[in-house]
Amino acid sequence: MTGSWHPAIRADWLVLRRTGAGAFLRMIAAPVLLSGCCAALACGDFHDGYGWCLAAGALLALGGSYVIAHRRLLDATERWRFGWCGALPAARGATTSTLLLASVAALVVSLAFITVLLFAVSVSAPHHADFVYAVAGIDLALVVGTVAAVMRVFHSGVLARSHQADGVGEPLLALAWLNDARLPHLLDWQRRAALVRWRRGGSPVMVGIVLGVVPIGAPMAQVAGLVLLVLAWSWLAVVMRASADAFAAAVRLLAAVPWDVRSARLASLRYPLIAVSCALVCVAAGTALLRHGGIALAWVACAAVVSARPFVRLARATRSVDPRA
Amino acid sequence: MTGLLRAAALHVAYGDVRVLDGIDLAIARGEFVALIGPNGAGKTTLLHAIAGIAPLCDGDIDIDGHDLANSPRAAKQAIGLAIDPPSLPALLTGRECLALFAGARGLPAIPAATLTLGETFSLTPVLDRRIDSYSLGMRQKLGILLGLLGEPPLLLLDEPFNGLDPRSALAFKSHLAALVARGDAGVLLATHSLDVAERHATRVVLLMDGRVRHTWNAAELVAMRQHPERSLEDAMAEAYEG
Repeated sequence: MTGSWHPAIRADWLVLRRTGAGAFLRMIAAPVLLSGCCAALACGDFHDGYGWCLAAGALLALGGSYVIAHRRLLDATERWRFGWCGALPAARGATTSTLLLASVAALVVSLAFITVLLFAVSVSAPHHADFVYAVAGIDLALVVGTVAAVMRVFHSGVLARSHQADGVGEPLLALAWLNDARLPHLLDWQRRAALVRWRRGGSPVMVGIVLGVVPIGAPMAQVAGLVLLVLAWSWLAVVMRASADAFAAAVRLLAAVPWDVRSARLASLRYPLIAVSCALVCVAAGTALLRHGGIALAWVACAAVVSARPFVRLARATRSVDPRA
Repeated sequence: MTGLLRAAALHVAYGDVRVLDGIDLAIARGEFVALIGPNGAGKTTLLHAIAGIAPLCDGDIDIDGHDLANSPRAAKQAIGLAIDPPSLPALLTGRECLALFAGARGLPAIPAATLTLGETFSLTPVLDRRIDSYSLGMRQKLGILLGLLGEPPLLLLDEPFNGLDPRSALAFKSHLAALVARGDAGVLLATHSLDVAERHATRVVLLMDGRVRHTWNAAELVAMRQHPERSLEDAMAEAYEG
């Protein structure tokens, strides 16, 4: 093996080509959404002259790029080192160099896209001249966020260990009665999967983003309320996706076992419903701190958006098991 | 011996590729049937079809008097499929995984017989460790325990001796032999270990290109064991060419 590219990237490219537009759209959805949100925030400056909107957009770009790059690098690292291609004869340092080059390529494409997007939304706006500041701030934030993610992944020794074990421990408050006797430990499986996913997403950055978008001089109570709302929402999104994934894996594992499908569905909903209850407590506290009842409704709408697909997946997971069972 | 499995005219295809092409197979309690054949012959697919996890294009499967298509839950009560090591949930401990299967089978707790077999396999000290820390052999043992949990009468085993240390492999063979001798269970074992098939099976089925190419019955296998110059390996080679 003489090339400096990791051979798995060719396999990933072939898979991407063969799985079609859907896989490509899933791959670019998060960066495109992030760019769209940043551009929308920048519009506040272009149209109304609110300078803090640019700062908020830059902070969002910083946190968002960090979260996306961190998670994708971890996923690729784990797949390349511990997946089927882990034993391929890759050149020394090929994993690092390939991931670095892929990160740089993704960053360059993102910078070009956000620049074009910002130009498009500012071209006919009253404060068009702020385009330069917007590009400088948001592009710089994207670079810093991506570099921070790359440094964290490559300097924390993650290339030398498996991540499945991350975040897997006993709960702080063990409530054995929460487990469904018909599918014991499914709840533990879902909880641990959620914890692993939460830690991979760069969750501490979310707090930074929320604090960053709060206007200077805002009361502490409102800041705390906002942090609670955003954390509850992002945590719920992670829990729902992880729960659906864990249950789908359990259905595959137990495919040859004579289990009761209705009981299984109920068991699979326990952890998500507990998570929703806990999130609602946070929302109630956040809403009280913000003293704005309407924001709870907005939160519920946002939570419904992120929960709908996992709920459908939880319901559909047992379809492979005969309904007459 | 009472009928346990009756599979008739099984056809399974993955896309355009025919994997099983009209398989007929019957197993009774007290029978140990070894399934041999080259890679891609359809051994694993046949086990999965009988376990109800490979979709049939055609054919009927009756397990312990229950039609698998019409009464899958009742039919699956009689099946014990050993779990493939890579399919085990990395985030659970071995004991949690056993409890999950026990609960799914409607059992109040992990059966004592399962824990005893785990002790025989020297698996007890690691049962409270997460599965992602297990070696291949430990995972294989856990997969076997999960298949045998609840003592289902029809055991479906796909290369269960892979990765097992000699002591555990011997203990498992003895356990299977005892189950079969008592008439409690019937075993369908897919394997490339011809010595296991020759020594322990009461019938050996050679599968090739999704079809049953040859069957050796108990009398022929006894004859092979009694005459060192005759072996299943040679008999299989002849059947390949024939």
